[in-house]
Amino acid sequence: MSEIIMSVEHLTKRFPVANGKFLTACDDITFNVRKGETIGIVGESGCGKTTLLKAIMNMQLPTSGRIIFRGEDITQLTGEAKRQNYRHIQMVFQDPTAAFDPKMHIKDIVCEPLLNFDLISAADVESKARELLEQVDLPPDFVNRYPHNMSGGQRQRVAIARALALEPEIIACDEATSALDVSVQDTIIKLLVRLQREKGITYIFICHDLALVSLFSHRIAVMYLGNMMEKLDGDKLKDARHPYTRALLKAVFSTDRERNQYIEILPGDIPSPLDMPSGCPFQNRCAQCQELCREQKPAFQEIDDNHFVACHYPHTF
Amino acid sequence: MILDVKNLAVSYAKNDTPTIQGVTFELDEREILAIVGESGSGKTTVIRAILNVLPGGGRVSEGKIIFDGRDLSTLDGEGWRSLRGKDISMIFQDSGAMMNPVHTIGKQFVEYIQTHSDLDKQDAYNLAVEKLTMMNLPNPDNIMSSYTFELSGGMRQRVGIAMAITFQPKLLLADEPTSALDVTTQAQIVGELMFITRGTGAAMIIVTHNLGVASYLSDKLIVMSQGKVVEAGATDDVIKNPKHQYTQSLLASVPEMGRRRYV
Repeated sequence: MSEIIMSVEHLTKRFPVANGKFLTACDDITFNVRKGETIGIVGESGCGKTTLLKAIMNMQLPTSGRIIFRGEDITQLTGEAKRQNYRHIQMVFQDPTAAFDPKMHIKDIVCEPLLNFDLISAADVESKARELLEQVDLPPDFVNRYPHNMSGGQRQRVAIARALALEPEIIACDEATSALDVSVQDTIIKLLVRLQREKGITYIFICHDLALVSLFSHRIAVMYLGNMMEKLDGDKLKDARHPYTRALLKAVFSTDRERNQYIEILPGDIPSPLDMPSGCPFQNRCAQCQELCREQKPAFQEIDDNHFVACHYPHTF
Repeated sequence: MILDVKNLAVSYAKNDTPTIQGVTFELDEREILAIVGESGSGKTTVIRAILNVLPGGGRVSEGKIIFDGRDLSTLDGEGWRSLRGKDISMIFQDSGAMMNPVHTIGKQFVEYIQTHSDLDKQDAYNLAVEKLTMMNLPNPDNIMSSYTFELSGGMRQRVGIAMAITFQPKLLLADEPTSALDVTTQAQIVGELMFITRGTGAAMIIVTHNLGVASYLSDKLIVMSQGKVVEAGATDDVIKNPKHQYTQSLLASVPEMGRRRYV
């Protein structure tokens, strides 16, 4: 297994809300990211996956906890050191239309990070932009276009080219394919996988589509209400032990009608993160909830090689 | 047969080339038809044409829509008003957006019921509560006094469906009804759509880009691309044995659990 390039340790982020209460968006999250691997973070809306990503991107300071990257705790960085850290970790956003300035040419968009860090001169922008576009399978002539002259899939390729420009070690993708059609999504994933093979890039890929994540992630982490519920190898998803992960797996519709007979509907709604139950966050929707689950919050423990679960009864199934 | 669409073409504004053309299908009671395709394929235009709510000067330029024995092109304004929301109703992608954010759900629901019936306020309220209960919404009274932004996406969608089925329409049109929802909520709503069509005998056309949802729900399937129907047939046949190359590549790009991994 490859080396660890980032360690997230006991990361907690609380936001103050009215009446002196707090909303815990991320609660004691611990995991490692390994070089050249894709970690897929899956969860439903409000589970804290974007907050986690913002902390990793150093865009938002966590309430407590550490993020070790390149030998230092990046949450402690300030000023120029913090700015330099952004060179090594770049981001691709969900909506490629909103991610660009509509009045900038594609060449200026993809080369802006390089100019910010004084890596190229203004005279080299055009040739460098052509090179970057070629890496993402776009015609180099697109350098003089504007974002609105391109399709959604092409724009997302430009976003990837911009993220690649600084040759970062980690690229964080926040629902990078959710706004795209399935066939376009397919080609974007293939592109990301090819770039990973060629350059050894590490992806932190946030997504709500478990089926998609299972197809290209080396590790999968499942979040629910700010907690990490399960983390396991991407090819072992069928061995998932947490009731929530299993419920997610059973809620995915397939084009295979035989498989659709096994669709099971998880009852109830996600409780409000403002009044979290004590004990397990999943207790009110869990079919196998016991006395202990209502009283005590389960620890995130390793039950098998590389397989972590936050459940008191991971072997009940 | 409840709906018969023959060779439908729709054009927008001064545009001579139709946005969709040659769309033909039939729908019986209790049948669910799914229209799938990628963005811009014209799938939403089809159901908007049926309800005569095409945006921006869109018009049916060719073909016929026969609903329950009536040619819809002969309807006048009053005819449409009594048809929409009563015999044919629509479920939108985000039912929150179809309602007014500054009025309570109850006020709008009651107004909607009174527009289409001569029930008094109290009876209309009771009918609304009954429909909300049918959609498994807890505390319907509470929901009636809420505003749309106070509800979760799944609850809003249930309210939208409850409104759509109030008058037991013969035809339900659902435009991406689960696309904005989380996976577990999506499964709940799809289950409820299945339940109401089987329960009330309504026919349904569901427009979706999610082939999994389409194959779970529908009896018939239409695959559209660039304004044309590329393949149509019984859902089982189309999914298991796609004839057209576009359908094949579309099906191949759907991420499926357990399919060959990219890495």
